[in-house]
Amino acid sequence: MLSYAFHRVAYAVPIALAVSIIVFALVHVGPGDPLDAVLPDEASVQDIERLRAQYGFDKPIPVQYGLWLGRAVQGDLGISIGSGRSVLAEVVDAAQNTFILAAFAFILGFPLAIIIGALAGYFHGSWLDRFLSAISVTGISIPHYWLGMVLVVLFAVEFGNLPAMGMTPYGSDGWSFSVEHFRHLVLPLLTISAIPMAIVARVTRACVADALASEVTQALRAKGLSEVSVFLHVLRNAAPTILAVMGLEIGNLLGGSILIETIFAWPGTGFLLNEAILRRDLPVLQGAILLMALFFVTLNLIADLIQSAVDPRIQRT
Amino acid sequence: MHIKVSDMKKVLAPSATNMDAIAATPMPPNAPTYWYLVGTRLMRDPVTMFCAFLLVFVVGLALFAPWVAPADPLEVSVMNRLQPIGTDGYLLGSDRLGRDILSRILHGGRISLFMGIAPVLLAVLIGGGLGILAGYVGGMVNSAIMRTMDVFYAFPSILLAIAIAGAMGPGISNGIIALTIVFIPPMTRVAESATTQIRKFDFVEAARATTSSHLRVLRVHVVGNVAGPILVYATSMVSLSIVIASGLSFLGLGVSPPNPEWGLMLSDLRESIYGNPMVAILPGVMIFVTSVSFNLLSDGLRNAMEIRQ
Amino acid sequence: MKRRSIKSVIAACIAFTMAAPLTAGAESVLRIGMTVSDIPQTTGQANQGGEGHRFVALQLYDALVAWDLRQSDQAAELMPGLAESWEVDPEDPNRWIFRLRRDVTFHDGSAFNADAVIWNFDKIFDEDAPQYDSRQASQVLNRIPGVGHYEKVDDYTIAITTPTPDSQLPYQLTWFMISSPARFAEVDNDWDAFAANPSGTGPWILDRVVARQRAEMVRNEQYWDEERIPLTERLILIPIPEPTTRTAALISGQVDWIEAPPPDTIPRLQSAGMQIVTNVYPHVWPWTLSRVDDSPWNDIRVRKAANLAVDRDGLVSVLGGLATPSYGQVPREHPWYGNPEFEIRYDPEEARRLLAEAGYDRDNPVNATVLIAPSGSGQMQPLPMNEYIQSNLAAVGINIDYQVVEWTALRNISRIGAKAPESSGIHAFNHSYGTSSPFEAYTRFFHSEMVPPNGRNWGYTDIEEVDDLLDRVLTTFDLDEQSDLLAQVNEILVDDAHWLWVVHDVNPRALSPHVQGFIPPQSWYLDLTTVEVK
Repeated sequence: MLSYAFHRVAYAVPIALAVSIIVFALVHVGPGDPLDAVLPDEASVQDIERLRAQYGFDKPIPVQYGLWLGRAVQGDLGISIGSGRSVLAEVVDAAQNTFILAAFAFILGFPLAIIIGALAGYFHGSWLDRFLSAISVTGISIPHYWLGMVLVVLFAVEFGNLPAMGMTPYGSDGWSFSVEHFRHLVLPLLTISAIPMAIVARVTRACVADALASEVTQALRAKGLSEVSVFLHVLRNAAPTILAVMGLEIGNLLGGSILIETIFAWPGTGFLLNEAILRRDLPVLQGAILLMALFFVTLNLIADLIQSAVDPRIQRT
Repeated sequence: MHIKVSDMKKVLAPSATNMDAIAATPMPPNAPTYWYLVGTRLMRDPVTMFCAFLLVFVVGLALFAPWVAPADPLEVSVMNRLQPIGTDGYLLGSDRLGRDILSRILHGGRISLFMGIAPVLLAVLIGGGLGILAGYVGGMVNSAIMRTMDVFYAFPSILLAIAIAGAMGPGISNGIIALTIVFIPPMTRVAESATTQIRKFDFVEAARATTSSHLRVLRVHVVGNVAGPILVYATSMVSLSIVIASGLSFLGLGVSPPNPEWGLMLSDLRESIYGNPMVAILPGVMIFVTSVSFNLLSDGLRNAMEIRQ
Repeated sequence: MKRRSIKSVIAACIAFTMAAPLTAGAESVLRIGMTVSDIPQTTGQANQGGEGHRFVALQLYDALVAWDLRQSDQAAELMPGLAESWEVDPEDPNRWIFRLRRDVTFHDGSAFNADAVIWNFDKIFDEDAPQYDSRQASQVLNRIPGVGHYEKVDDYTIAITTPTPDSQLPYQLTWFMISSPARFAEVDNDWDAFAANPSGTGPWILDRVVARQRAEMVRNEQYWDEERIPLTERLILIPIPEPTTRTAALISGQVDWIEAPPPDTIPRLQSAGMQIVTNVYPHVWPWTLSRVDDSPWNDIRVRKAANLAVDRDGLVSVLGGLATPSYGQVPREHPWYGNPEFEIRYDPEEARRLLAEAGYDRDNPVNATVLIAPSGSGQMQPLPMNEYIQSNLAAVGINIDYQVVEWTALRNISRIGAKAPESSGIHAFNHSYGTSSPFEAYTRFFHSEMVPPNGRNWGYTDIEEVDDLLDRVLTTFDLDEQSDLLAQVNEILVDDAHWLWVVHDVNPRALSPHVQGFIPPQSWYLDLTTVEVK
């Protein structure tokens, strides 16, 4: 186990490095000048050159990469061209807000999804199963940004009982656990959780259905174990896979946030990225995508380690 | 969506008994029995059949859009802006520039379906090929290919698609490239895992011993058996591809105006949601219906391939 | 604590938290939803373009020269700001004397004087000064080309020397905001700390900023212009870049005022009781036409035909009335319009006749490639508008092929000129412009010396008379005489059908019925001090 853990962690390092190369390449491959978005209309060629040198865009790409990586390792991801603030500060700030959404989706949504999936799998083939499965399929098929808009129009505009946008009510500085804050959370939360919850539910259903049909379960039943115990046993068997998928669906939460946060003006990483893409704010793009990807790499790592700890058979060679 | 090797086995080939069942009945080279079984099972499942027909209908409409559509999807008419559903000449209403929504949905279907299916097809070819190669050859080649895929797995798919499309700029081809890149890693994994499974079976070893041509072995034994899981996974990917492609257009990447594409139409009609809500949600309904059909079809395929003893 | 007390405390808490999300107490609050996606820089010079200047720079700070934004019926004019008066030295047309206003204090209590002004110039120009801020410099340097050399004459007088005689200096100085040197010293010479706690002389004082979410300002009770002390106590700015979200926020009552409501939501907004406020302002939405060798626009008949082919009134109705037709670089009622002979109007018959005369017909139409972008600041609704124009032009025999690029790519092309390799094959592009000053309206586009990289003369316009008139504007210090010269320039350009002029924007905003007292000026900027929220 320990040696596997060690290998797995050591293996994450070249992955992270490769990720950084891809992020950098992605962002610099695009057409257009990175400075275009920020310069005022009247910028002269001299100004452009001065800014270019200031941001280091005049150096050859591999050199820029090396410099960027060197500073990144020390925690300096550069300065946002758009706002002038440090990229790291911007991303961390925004990440905290996305984290709130993701955390609630994880804490509230995923257990619900597991329950739905487990019930559907347990009553495999019944009308309850078909009903719950229909809900799950709906969840993954719906374009969630569209769902967000529809929810806003329904609940904020037409019915008027939920806020249309924003994370915090006036007069407050950040997140706190008040009713007002929760009112702001409801619609974005529903929208962003739809797809990940549906995927988790479907996978849970498949795992539970399998485990129920397996010979081991049949043997346990034959031995006279109560249904509840069988159910728990089934869940325990399915747990590693479900955990793994949950871990991966956090990625969907992060990714889906780009579209949702813009609609709800939720000041998270998605909002930040959207603006960075529109304005071609390269330092922010590089920094934000890198951090998100690294976060994901770490998450995968932890999920793998937990999984192998729980079930030593599931070790990738 | 990306799932690990072990999870893949559980989710796609749902029971351990499945693979054993296949192995227990050694398959002669051109084995019609397995697929025949799958086919008949499929036809007995009403939901899947309904979805299949629905999809054929949608795809057909899209393919024949130029002949079926009542009007030119690009024709602007200032006088007839934002007509409601059921207006004479505008069966499903008109958009901000007075263009017929029905025609735009039909023509848009071509682009949306194309952007949904093409990347998945490409990913099946490229990813599937790489995966089969990795699984069949094993060793260093396997490591090299799979480790490269791991790097791309570090990115959540939507994020990666948006990042690539954002970097390359708007355009259908850029959108397709972005989506293909996003789908290749999971497809490779599916193919590799299935191939690795198959490779271990005795009959493959036997075939390799008797024939000198790897290609023949691949074609005859491997591809046929790997096709199943790949097909199931691919059909579920199409729905995700359509949704992500429409999301790209919604953001201003992907398809650019005035081309009709369901996601772009959703974006265009965003503002009409206050004046003409029914018209504004139509493209979303199309995306949803197509997506659901592909997903249910995928489910049906998987169920049909699940042969219990 | 007794149970009953606990219950009542809980009940009170719930009641409190369930209350509508307005600030506590009877404080009057104006909440504005802006189109930008982040709070503009609060250090003095704002970023984020027009909205930054409008909602942050002009509210927290003043400039030496201000715009008179308190009337709607005529184009906004310059008026004294922190400088009470200014004049050109009679012996040296390059030297300007500015007499500064007395008894003005910054928000932090320190006094405004000539030292503060010099300090602020150093903030922009002197890279060795501790207060130098490249972020602010990059925003304003190009707007003040007339500031060559600056010096203090006495505590309330400064002198600015322009490199060449430049009558436009007052226009330029409206961009130059005065930040407090004392506050900067208090925060240990750190602009980031200053941004969180800024100090200017403006009618509003920054209370707090929550990055990407909100900026809250309170009124400056000590404001030096007693007539312009805000009537509202608190101003909250909220960035809401997504147009439908802005609409939703206004209808649901989360904000009182939104910028740029999407045109198709206007009926819904009106039925919800919102006020739609518009006014013409110095904005023009044209196609810039290329005059390099291969351009189809080199024949004046083709240019005139294009201008005659566009049904501007029809386009205005497509935009829900949120535009006015454009017949030249400035609106017809503007003093710089003059009296051109060529009357731009909708006359497709005449357009076809001109094209036939130029040798074009159904089998040999005019073909042009035009660069457009799907969005962009001030671009209004570029895609529907351009599609509309495309069909108008096709109807008379001009085939337009669009190349759609990102806004930033379009801006880049607009900077490098029609002769640059990247512009090859592009015969025109669609980019809207502000026309608040003579330089912004005419000089930068039409003076032959303003070809890239010096300026924005993309099409390589070279008309001797225009050059001559624009040069004379620089040495004409009387505003009425300047207007006469500019009217002549406009006449020449319109008679030449130099560009394809389409519409002017009318700067629509949607206000809740509770918002009273707003005077929409004919300007890019506005005065929020007259606004009350009932």
